[in-house]
Amino acid sequence: MNDGHSLAPESRPAMTAARPLRADGESREAVPDIRPTVTTRFAVNGRFHAVEHDVRVTLLDLLRERLGLTGTKKGCDHGQCGACTVHVNGEAVLSCLTLAASLEDVVVTTIEGVGSPEKLHPMQQAFIDHDALQCGYCTPGQIMAAIACVRDGGARDASSVREWMSGTLCRCAAYPQIASAVLDAAGKMVD
Amino acid sequence: MRPVAYSRPRTPEEAIDLLVGAGGAAMPLFGGTTLLDLAKLEVLTPARLVDLRALRPDYRAISRDSDGIISIGGLATMAEVARHPLLRREVPAIVAALDQAASPQLRNMASIAGNVLQRTRCPYYRDISWSRCNRRIPGSGCQALAGIATSHAVLGTSDACMASYPGDLAPVLAALEASAVVMGGGGRRSVPIDGLHRLPGATPQCETVLAPGELILAVRVPHFACLKRSTFVKLRNRAAYEFAEASAMVALDLEGGVVRDARVGLGGVATVPWRSRAAEARLVGMRPVDAAMDAANAAFREAVVRSDTAYKVEMGKRALVAAIRQAVAMDIADD
Amino acid sequence: MTEPSSARIGEPLPRVDALAKVTGMALFPSDVPAPETAYAVLLTSTIALGRIVRIDSSAAETVPGFLLLLSHENVAGCIKTPHAFAGLSTTTVESVQVMHDGQIVGLIVAQSYEGACEAAACVRIDYEPSSAAAGFDSPGVQRRRVKEANARHQDPRIGDADAAYVSAPVRIAADYATPTQHHNSIELLTTTCWWEGDRLTVHEPSQFVLDRRYLADCFGIPVEHIRVVSRFCGGGFGGKTSGTPRTALCALAARRLNRPVKLVARREQAFTINTYRAETRHHVRLAAHHDGRLLALIHEGMEITSRPSTYSVAGTEVTARMYACANIRTEVSIVHADRNTPGFMRCPAELPYMFALESAMDELAHALHMDPIELRRRNDTDRDPIDGRAYSSRSLMRCFDEGARQFGWSDRPAQPGTHRMGEWRVGYGCAAASYPAVLGASAARVSLDGEARARVQLAFHEIGNGAYTVIAQAAAAALGLPLASVEVELGDTRLPPSNIAAASNGTATTCNAVTRACAMIRDRLLEAARQDPLFGTDPSLQAAQLMDGCLVAGGARLPIASLVERIGGLVDAEGAYIVPDAPPGAIERLRQGIPAFGGGVHGRTHVALSLGAHFVQVHVHVLTGEIRVPRVLGVFAAGTIMNRRTAASQLTGGMIWGMGSALHEATIVDPGSARYINRSFADYLIPVNADVPSVTAILLEERDEVINPMGIKGVGELGPSGMNAAIANAIFNATGRRLRSLPILPRHLI
Repeated sequence: MNDGHSLAPESRPAMTAARPLRADGESREAVPDIRPTVTTRFAVNGRFHAVEHDVRVTLLDLLRERLGLTGTKKGCDHGQCGACTVHVNGEAVLSCLTLAASLEDVVVTTIEGVGSPEKLHPMQQAFIDHDALQCGYCTPGQIMAAIACVRDGGARDASSVREWMSGTLCRCAAYPQIASAVLDAAGKMVD
Repeated sequence: MRPVAYSRPRTPEEAIDLLVGAGGAAMPLFGGTTLLDLAKLEVLTPARLVDLRALRPDYRAISRDSDGIISIGGLATMAEVARHPLLRREVPAIVAALDQAASPQLRNMASIAGNVLQRTRCPYYRDISWSRCNRRIPGSGCQALAGIATSHAVLGTSDACMASYPGDLAPVLAALEASAVVMGGGGRRSVPIDGLHRLPGATPQCETVLAPGELILAVRVPHFACLKRSTFVKLRNRAAYEFAEASAMVALDLEGGVVRDARVGLGGVATVPWRSRAAEARLVGMRPVDAAMDAANAAFREAVVRSDTAYKVEMGKRALVAAIRQAVAMDIADD
Repeated sequence: MTEPSSARIGEPLPRVDALAKVTGMALFPSDVPAPETAYAVLLTSTIALGRIVRIDSSAAETVPGFLLLLSHENVAGCIKTPHAFAGLSTTTVESVQVMHDGQIVGLIVAQSYEGACEAAACVRIDYEPSSAAAGFDSPGVQRRRVKEANARHQDPRIGDADAAYVSAPVRIAADYATPTQHHNSIELLTTTCWWEGDRLTVHEPSQFVLDRRYLADCFGIPVEHIRVVSRFCGGGFGGKTSGTPRTALCALAARRLNRPVKLVARREQAFTINTYRAETRHHVRLAAHHDGRLLALIHEGMEITSRPSTYSVAGTEVTARMYACANIRTEVSIVHADRNTPGFMRCPAELPYMFALESAMDELAHALHMDPIELRRRNDTDRDPIDGRAYSSRSLMRCFDEGARQFGWSDRPAQPGTHRMGEWRVGYGCAAASYPAVLGASAARVSLDGEARARVQLAFHEIGNGAYTVIAQAAAAALGLPLASVEVELGDTRLPPSNIAAASNGTATTCNAVTRACAMIRDRLLEAARQDPLFGTDPSLQAAQLMDGCLVAGGARLPIASLVERIGGLVDAEGAYIVPDAPPGAIERLRQGIPAFGGGVHGRTHVALSLGAHFVQVHVHVLTGEIRVPRVLGVFAAGTIMNRRTAASQLTGGMIWGMGSALHEATIVDPGSARYINRSFADYLIPVNADVPSVTAILLEERDEVINPMGIKGVGELGPSGMNAAIANAIFNATGRRLRSLPILPRHLI
């Protein structure tokens, strides 16, 4: 990857055809797409990707709309709800405020990468065991935050778990069950 | 978001060239927690994002030099600073302020430089559909004057703007006489954090004294005897994850129960990170708990309030009194 | 071989959809892939009242990838005024008129999401604004009694409350207020849709997929041509019913572009393109004998609504039916302002109205120098005080007594403001929870195959209510199968009609329907068993049970699988439950998008309430006024509980909603402009994990022989009811300060 370019990607224009309609429904000539794009090379859940994308694309939208990884959820798009939490190089971050372009050479893990239905991560199992979810929409973000909480030493006791997990909102308010699940899984996680 | 170009320079010089060359139309990007938030809202409309990520290895270190000055790399994340043993041991107030700021995810993303430069939460600033905001559109007026200003400042306000500075860390740094090591088109210079942000005055759009293209490469915290007995109290409605309604940092150097030296910083109540020298002066030479209310009154003597911000004075005073009590109660281990 | 044991009703089994939800495999509507999707962004008004003078889209149209702008100029009468459940709502897109802040005024579609956002930002809309009335105190609002606005509304009353109040020995009178609040489910309001010919498919989170009338009306097609799918819904709370103008706009765009269109509305737009809980004000007067028996109860409520709507929640329907009292007068008014039309939000009526009543009861107990639980005991009743109907079941005092015991209520300081722990004042509070046990109508199809695997299908909704789980459990229990042998399909208009997931009716309505279908299957299996040469003559066959995978009669067991094989390898049945008060044709009406509701406080023979008691410990910091709630306990009685685990979770979640309503949540309306100014999760505060250290829900056994065959009452909306009052009462106990306006903030306590 150290080919000299990967650390200094300059955006460049790309051409793609578009056939826009006017407000009156009439078709008109295609205009060139001159919005800056960039190619980002990074790994998601152990799989390498090289994606050319609009500079403005966030990691969240890239995962959901380009890579088909819809487990990561959009709840506010402004870094306020935590539903889009993923791991970048092992740390919990908000994918909605992470520009995909800035991810060159990094390793991303999403909910799809932490366990499978056949082999659940202990945190996923604990969420099931403690009924730490209701509608399930924030659950991927909760689990990604929870795994990071344990790794980060945030699962010392119930109070530290609640504090650590407070950046990830749950409107169904499964909070007590989430805190129990995190404490339970903390003792079972090996990494 | 408006169309934007992207660069990832490998040296600060390259970054500064890109930023200066664009004459303010380019903006430095690191964690994105302020910039992308406000760019999505179209409050900020950079033409180019200059991603500082590649500079991080050189500007993330945390160390102490022979004079006892602690240097924090500008691109260290809030989380890295908060968990650093040196700071945990030497400047508890910095750690306490960071631990109570934002969320773990945001603290993993945001740099110290970016955190210090975060923008106000004034709702009329953050929503461009309000046509009157002197901070966003110079000379357009202030919608908050006619609107609801419960989150607004009572210290350092002007007729043009009373938006509060929302951060927790910068008031701590300002009061501790920390300075920013800044590099820009004109080379390197040192800027005290207490003075980095401009009072709004008649030109609230000029938020800091930084020139276009100037980057904060490090924050330096000088050594004082009071650092170890430093603490931070944040008052808010929720138990976690909320901006301060009022916060207070107090650092005390005590001798025989009497204050030899004191630092007082206030957050959530002022338009800029606020150091209260008036409160410090009331504490020095006194028994701190006895002088606490006097110091709190002094800190807010110049407050300008309206009906919806009046509570901020009371909250601010109480945060300060609580912080003084907490500092006194700290069990300080000898070196 | 031993058959796996069958699921039982009430058993605290893990959610059947938990695996999908913890792995990210659960496809929420905006996760459903749609090839060649174009991306839509809503344009919303930046004034609350006035006219659109001009829409300049020239810059937007030059944005690369721009496809379409829809506005009043080119929707060609397609987008109609939405009907809303409770009357006319505000207009959108069909004219130049703007009637509330953030009203949808257009839709931009582009090749990419980023392009759509950019184009939307380039559209310039000029308005001619008018002076907008924001709320109760604004000039220009119009107040009227609900019974004048809505002929069907009746204010519950009996006796002469005003006279009784004036002459009573002990009296209290107080004003209470609750703020505007928003659902704020974490899932955004999304729509993904496409056309195939004149048939429309819509994927969007929904609490009522069958509500297709509005779309059918907009496009002039029969409802049968519209398929709405919502397999999972990321929180509803009353905010997600299908067929809104945003759906119609997306569908129109998809039709014009002849490709799928996907909209994910922004968080700030969710505050204005959807309904909300309107702010309320209350004047409550209570009078009592010295022994605590109520002599008079007067509850006057006032609610904000939009200009055209007569929507009100009128919670006096419940507050008039809580306690024995011979003289009750209630009155509800609405105040028309330049606001969006409010609507259901979890515990719509009871959250504001029970706050007023249960705070007032606490004030009365204090005036009487009486324990607040004792006051409720003296006024417990087994008859509706308004019309004498019996309660279908009522365990209110059992809830209070069990809660008092488990919580340690006897430690409560009798004198307010006297108990301290270090720097914190400590207070205990309690309040009753009450929610009408409403029922609806639902069909359900159950099929059973030769491997004894059951499939249950109905157009109900998983919104966090545990619908997949309790429906599977009902079928498994009725068919004698383990939970894993039942597969449930929900959230699709192609399935047998089912009710709206609202008003806590879902579990009762759907489980009764499923159980009925299962009973039909059992009858078919019995018939097959009668053909068995050895078994068929067994006299105990009539009392046969399905359990543990077998039909069991007397000492004999026949595997269900073999019985199904004997009758062709598949047996299916469609059953239904219809609340007795429903108008004829309830199932067909569901198909047409008309929900069914009955029972609750309006049952013909009984009043049906789910009831409970909240207990709260609060700490208020002496110096800073910070409020912490270290301990909350709720005890509830709601008839048969289908799954004690999911029910308890729903209740603790609901209790936390009540905590949020007491201490955090308020949408702030800018008074000059009638615009919301805190439309984000950073500024509209909902509880976070650190706010709720200990929340426990206890479920009491309660048998309700009347309400429905299974005796289920429902718990989804019970948890928040009264919790805000319990907290306010505990704060009074801690500090001696009575706070009557929500939310209660530290600044009110210093």
